[in-house]
Amino acid sequence: MLLNSVIIVLREVLEAALLISVFMATSRYLGLSNRWVIIALILGGIGAAAYGYLLGPISELLDGVGQEVGNATLQLATFLLLVPTAFQVSRRSTLAGRHGELLPLLMAAAVMLAVVREGAEILVYVSGFWEVRDFLSAVGVGSLIGACIGLSVGVLVYFLLVALPAKRALLAYGTLLLLIAAGMSLQATALLIQADWISVTGALWNTSAILPEDSLVGQLLYAFVGYEASPSATEVIVYVSSMAVVAVAFLAGRSRNRGGAGNLV
Amino acid sequence: MRKLLQARTRLLVTTLCCLLLAPSFAAAPEFEIEIRNHLFQPDTLVIPANTKVKLIVYNRDATPEEFESFELNREKVILGGRKAIIFIGPLAPGEYPFFGEFNPQTALGTIIAKDESDAAE
Repeated sequence: MLLNSVIIVLREVLEAALLISVFMATSRYLGLSNRWVIIALILGGIGAAAYGYLLGPISELLDGVGQEVGNATLQLATFLLLVPTAFQVSRRSTLAGRHGELLPLLMAAAVMLAVVREGAEILVYVSGFWEVRDFLSAVGVGSLIGACIGLSVGVLVYFLLVALPAKRALLAYGTLLLLIAAGMSLQATALLIQADWISVTGALWNTSAILPEDSLVGQLLYAFVGYEASPSATEVIVYVSSMAVVAVAFLAGRSRNRGGAGNLV
Repeated sequence: MRKLLQARTRLLVTTLCCLLLAPSFAAAPEFEIEIRNHLFQPDTLVIPANTKVKLIVYNRDATPEEFESFELNREKVILGGRKAIIFIGPLAPGEYPFFGEFNPQTALGTIIAKDESDAAE
């Protein structure tokens, strides 16, 4: 029961922690304040409690696929926030200190949505043991350990990113944003397939024999890049086009940047 | 005569439309599983291969469970005393394990996708 709680909570915390680390490192790189994180966490926590509390009725909506559609909406919204984030990050990279509080707002909103989704699941899991007191302490301790491991990975990633040489950092942040964003829209697509809102014809390939999704590396890759061992053609198309959209936003920010720099001179 | 031809054409078009649209309107075959005392009942489910099916999972326990399968790319929280609808497939013939993420030691099951001809045996 203890180990199980560790794994469940770790899986949920890891995804949100990675997003937060990447954003915090980016903020620091751009010389922005990281105050938005606290607000995002508080609002996300409140949202998670509400979403978790209402998950029963929400699940019954839309002919019993309300949960899938709800989660997919949160993930697609995160993706939509990450597109202008990528644009703003590359635009601001050489215009540090100049105007625009838009970026912290975008990051805060994305983190809040991630916390709502992941937090609600943890709350549903833990609250299930409220009745069965025998396991409550094991689940409590396990969840705490899981959360701590997840946060430690987040902190590690943050310091690895901060330690990057300035020249490479921007590319690293751009790449990470692109992968996280594509992973979000991929997961949303998988949920809509599960809800039968999107029809698919079957898996395009299957790499579960080489790299199983439930392995440690598989889990880390899932959290980082949305790794899926047997994706459908639809999912592959969505993944690749999401990456393309974020890449274009990032490059557009850079070219705008050069134009802006010219004006300054 | 002309009227008759028109009527026939209309009938033909209607029939063709019906035939073309029929597969997309056909409801996915339904299968049911229960969760009781953190166990799936039945724990093995044979479904037709290459067909989308509608799986209804009833959680008879008071505690929540998460239906999860890496092989099926599915995950869904089912609160205590509630049911969940999960669409699966179309799947290539084979075995697809699933588990209850909240009780992974006991809540274990397998979906077996079989070709129609094999399943009839």
